[in-house]
Amino acid sequence: MQTVLVVDDEFGVAEVLQSILEDEGYRVATAINGKQALARLNEVTPDLIMLDYMMPIMDGTQTLSAIRSNATFARLPIIMMSSLEEVSVRETCTDYDFFLRKPFRAMAVLKAVQQLLEHPPRK
Amino acid sequence: MSNKEVSEPGLERIATGVPGLDEVLKGGFFEGAVYIVRGTPGAGKTILANQICFQNARQGKRALFVTLLAENHARMLQHLEQMSFYDAKLIPKYVYYISAFRVLEENGLKGMMDLLRREMRAHDASILILDGLIAVEETSTNDREFRKFIHELQAHAATAGCCTLLLTNGRRGEYHPEHTMVDGLVTLEDVPYGKRRQRELEVRKFRGSASLRGRHPFQITDDGLVVHPRPESRFLRNTGVANAGRISTGIAQLDAMTGGGLIADSSTLLLGPSGAGKTTLGTAFLHRSSKAEPGLHFGFYESPDRLVANAQLLGIDLKARVAAGDLEILWHPPFERILDSLGNELIDAVRRRKVRRLFIDGWGGFAGTAETHERLTPFFSALANELRSLGVTSICAMETQNLIGPELLVPATGISAVTENMILLRYSEYQGQLRRLISIMKVRGGGFDPKLREFEIGPQGLRFVDSFKTAEGVLSGYSTERSDAAAPANKKNAAKGRRATARRRSKA
Repeated sequence: MQTVLVVDDEFGVAEVLQSILEDEGYRVATAINGKQALARLNEVTPDLIMLDYMMPIMDGTQTLSAIRSNATFARLPIIMMSSLEEVSVRETCTDYDFFLRKPFRAMAVLKAVQQLLEHPPRK
Repeated sequence: MSNKEVSEPGLERIATGVPGLDEVLKGGFFEGAVYIVRGTPGAGKTILANQICFQNARQGKRALFVTLLAENHARMLQHLEQMSFYDAKLIPKYVYYISAFRVLEENGLKGMMDLLRREMRAHDASILILDGLIAVEETSTNDREFRKFIHELQAHAATAGCCTLLLTNGRRGEYHPEHTMVDGLVTLEDVPYGKRRQRELEVRKFRGSASLRGRHPFQITDDGLVVHPRPESRFLRNTGVANAGRISTGIAQLDAMTGGGLIADSSTLLLGPSGAGKTTLGTAFLHRSSKAEPGLHFGFYESPDRLVANAQLLGIDLKARVAAGDLEILWHPPFERILDSLGNELIDAVRRRKVRRLFIDGWGGFAGTAETHERLTPFFSALANELRSLGVTSICAMETQNLIGPELLVPATGISAVTENMILLRYSEYQGQLRRLISIMKVRGGGFDPKLREFEIGPQGLRFVDSFKTAEGVLSGYSTERSDAAAPANKKNAAKGRRATARRRSKA
């Protein structure tokens, strides 16, 4: 069973993603900010990370940078999520593998997750 | 160096940038102060808070928007995209959105306070919005714990110089212990008046400054909230300086009746039934508009094109006055409107062009928008005071309810006390014809010719003809020839007319 780590501060978003993914047979772990996500990496060893862009304590940009500079997790597929357009997000970070704009449809989430897990871009 | 670091110490204001609100707050909220914004769901709290964030972000200030159990960010931003103040480019650098609900759930009030404190500092926030205070209240085990949270937040906001707005629907009824602690309380309500509803904003508490009192209507438009400060609270000055000058009415005979024209800066109520000639008299007054005496027609019933065309038929060339820039015609079709907005728009239009001649056509256009009839007299009193202070000589048409007859049914009480002058237009039946009559009922601080005059409206405009020198009972609407040998029936009619005149004077 593959594991997805969902990192989002917003009530409702993480819960909805968790339900969608668990229904499809994925194991899901959650964190409410980047700092908590980094602390959970070793514990859950995810196959993919869904990362929110705006969060308290440690935002998506900082978290992405920390993950990419960690040799163990640097190649993990990462989906960046935001209510903003991607062009705004790319002003501060580009090193993710897929962008999902909120609010999103369940099918779009599953398609992106499935594709990145089947064909990891950083093998 | 941040904006806050270069500001002077003391009570600095944070202008909201919300049209009308800064005037109500006399400059805006205060830096480092905590305010509660209370309103039912849909009242406009979230839009107001976002509008303040984006308006300040444009000035280089940073805002932190923290949600609890509220609309999710993606949905909220989708809705905000429709608003002109929204600018995605200002996110995340100047406006940053986070949710604190899960922190509140997992770490309680202390965890929540730590988060707010850290994030205020991390984002160098000048403005903090906490949307969903009710969730904090519900998490608190008792009032004391909740008040402690507010108290601590105040301390951190003051230290950070961060103006904090706590948004809540305040569903606990009237007792809100936190209201005694915060620096201010703003309520947003949707108030029913018959079949219509009106949004109203009130500053119930505001430490450190006066504010415009009372409930101010507001609208939610594509530009966000627009507040219309109540003219009664906005226009409080009354210079009381008597101006000895005279302003021509545009009709020589009427000028003669008033002792040389209307007293400058005075307000005149022009009473009369439909079709009696109020608009014609008003357009004659405005036809004298010039560079020295700019004119304004503030009307509700006739479109500018129709007004100009009708005046042209009477030999009054308003078009030339408009073309020369001496006259402006503002038309407000009598749809559902806000009284306060109309009053403020009128004063703004007067100020913009330094108007000296104003004709309002008419009083009923304002009256139709009032939430309650009782508001009209203080409303007009405020407008009249402001117009006087601005050096405007104004005429306001007011339609009386009966076309003909001994009674003068004025659709407002106490209105005569507000205006300096009153002119009455009436119909009277005389010798088998319906005649138009004009008379002056009041000229404050000046003498006037009390005689009744007959006038006609034709291609030459408004023209005075013979007065009713030999008639009696004219104001009753049924004139008779005065004669010592008059028939008993005529004497009866004349007595009826005198009684009607007495009644009219006592009513006015």
